[in-house]
Amino acid sequence: MQDYLLMIVAAMFINNIVLIRFMGNCPVVGVTSSYESAVGMGAAVIFVATMAGTTCWIIQKTILEVLGIEYLQTLVFILVIAALVQFVEILMQKVAPPLYRALGIFLPLITTNCMVFGVSVLNIKEEHSFMQTLIFSLASAVGFALVLLFMAGLRERMDATGRVPSLLRGVPITLITAGMMGLSFAGLLGMA
Amino acid sequence: MEPVLTAILTVGAIGMLAGLILGVTAKIFYVHVDPRIGHVADILPGANCGGCGYAGCTDLAAAIVQGNAPANACKAASDELAQKIASMLGISVDQQERQVAQIFCHGDAAHAQRKFVYLGIQDCRAAQLVSGGDKACTYGCLGLGTCVQGCFFGALHMGPNGLPVVDTELCTGCGSCTKICPRHIPKLIPVSQKAAAFCSSHDAGKVVKEICEVGCIGCGLCKKVCPENAVEIDKFLSVVDPAKCTGCGKCFEKCPTGIIQSVVLTRDLKKKAA
Amino acid sequence: MAARIVNEFTKGFWKEIAPLRFALGICPSLAVSTKVESALGMGFAVVFVLCMSNVLISAVRNLVPDKVRIAVFISIIATGVVIVELVMQAYFYPLFLVLGIWIPLIVVNCIVLGRAEAFARKNTIPLSLSDGMGMGLGFTLSLVVISSIREILGSGTWLGMLVMPEAYPGFGFLLRPPGAFVIFGLILGIMNVISARIEKKTA
Repeated sequence: MQDYLLMIVAAMFINNIVLIRFMGNCPVVGVTSSYESAVGMGAAVIFVATMAGTTCWIIQKTILEVLGIEYLQTLVFILVIAALVQFVEILMQKVAPPLYRALGIFLPLITTNCMVFGVSVLNIKEEHSFMQTLIFSLASAVGFALVLLFMAGLRERMDATGRVPSLLRGVPITLITAGMMGLSFAGLLGMA
Repeated sequence: MEPVLTAILTVGAIGMLAGLILGVTAKIFYVHVDPRIGHVADILPGANCGGCGYAGCTDLAAAIVQGNAPANACKAASDELAQKIASMLGISVDQQERQVAQIFCHGDAAHAQRKFVYLGIQDCRAAQLVSGGDKACTYGCLGLGTCVQGCFFGALHMGPNGLPVVDTELCTGCGSCTKICPRHIPKLIPVSQKAAAFCSSHDAGKVVKEICEVGCIGCGLCKKVCPENAVEIDKFLSVVDPAKCTGCGKCFEKCPTGIIQSVVLTRDLKKKAA
Repeated sequence: MAARIVNEFTKGFWKEIAPLRFALGICPSLAVSTKVESALGMGFAVVFVLCMSNVLISAVRNLVPDKVRIAVFISIIATGVVIVELVMQAYFYPLFLVLGIWIPLIVVNCIVLGRAEAFARKNTIPLSLSDGMGMGLGFTLSLVVISSIREILGSGTWLGMLVMPEAYPGFGFLLRPPGAFVIFGLILGIMNVISARIEKKTA
């Protein structure tokens, strides 16, 4: 149990998938100009990453390793993720239309997000068990969503005061802010 | 040979299985969307300004197709667009007069007093929260340009004297500026209205005289002199009824502050110079 | 025609340099830029994948139905990446270890799919090839610039050779993730200023 707790804290903060592992920067820079879109994107990513991580793990163990074609991991994983996201989108549109309207436009965006694919590959690389895969994927995605929310809140505030020098407005100040945030997260190093 | 075959067959099988599942799912979970909604949404301007009261153009298109909204509900669409929608759906539409926004405050830096110097977030909604705004008049324009940013059609810009200016060619009368202004100073008037009192202050005349040189003091001279009875005084503020006003201008001469004036539909000054 | 090919090639180096203009391909730019050596390795891997995918996608652009085009593009790109992975593992093993997880992540590099979607599926093979080369080499150039700054200031070396005086303690912050973000942000800001100045001069 304690192992899992440690893994959750590590995945969410100490080895935060965006700020420390560098995966999934594009949405952080692109989607965080408004708080609502950040919330939508974060929720969609948590949903997709958890499912994709576990599904890819299952495929790795039951198909790729059994047939000895682990080298096709990249190709198979990305195809599975793309198909999974499309499947979920179709289902959502019929079964939960309000949820679809809230998350809908972000789902195709997430298919090619480094974060989802990266988490799936990381699970295999770090040789997680199924339970560990599930928890790691979920915790990493929550960490990602947290960073999105923090960044959106900060950016909205920064844009409102209008005191950012024009040299740095837009993407540059977002990246610098991300660096500062990463610095504070890295302060937790040594806990795990 | 065998590894190559394994690879090709496995990936091919996964691909085909995925395709099959997706195809079947798409059929089973098919959501029927009335194609006319898409057509109507294409005709509408697509600015998602919310002036119609619906959550975006697609939402209004759905409402029009289902018969819950008239074909000319979109204030930003011209009459011919409304006709197009109506004829496509086989319904009729009655003409409504176009409305434009006007700024009901003339208290610029030269004529209206400020209580203090405001250095906070440059947004009227934020300024309003700080002791009710830095302007002495609690009804007057704070001049930080929230309405300019809130206009979906670029019809507002900040004038040189700190008051917003409406480009009535671009203004569609959607009313977003009225909603976003914390004091609702931009107001919609019919495009044919000839005269108006450009003030929003309901303060008594004595108070207004102290804080603003051009504000309406509610003296009622305009009401007395109007031959058509088109002017009413609503809590110390003069209001012109567009249906009755003929634009004769008798009230302009009598007004002590000059706040009641003829309505001038202004073009964008930049465009005028070009 | 030749002029167009040259134009598509050169635009990737300044006018449309991907990471610094469009903020595409930020993830690998930050991750592998601690050393110029690994940056070059990543850069050339991306050049290969870009060229291959651009050419193949351009070749099949009229045969692929619109609804499944993303899936087809991704498959082609993924195949290219698997090739790169295996070749690197066989012939450039130290580089393979350094780049680690970032090689398979070339598949989801925004630049690769972005060029496929925006260019390769609408243009002929020679143009797509030159676009792929230009974009890829431009990406490599920006990677080299960023990693040079980080390596020289961070560890005092460049391509493994000592360039700063012996006593230089090394600015460790730049080698860590937070430093990467800050340096990248500053470089982007400077890029904005430089291009604004140039545009003002030519306008």
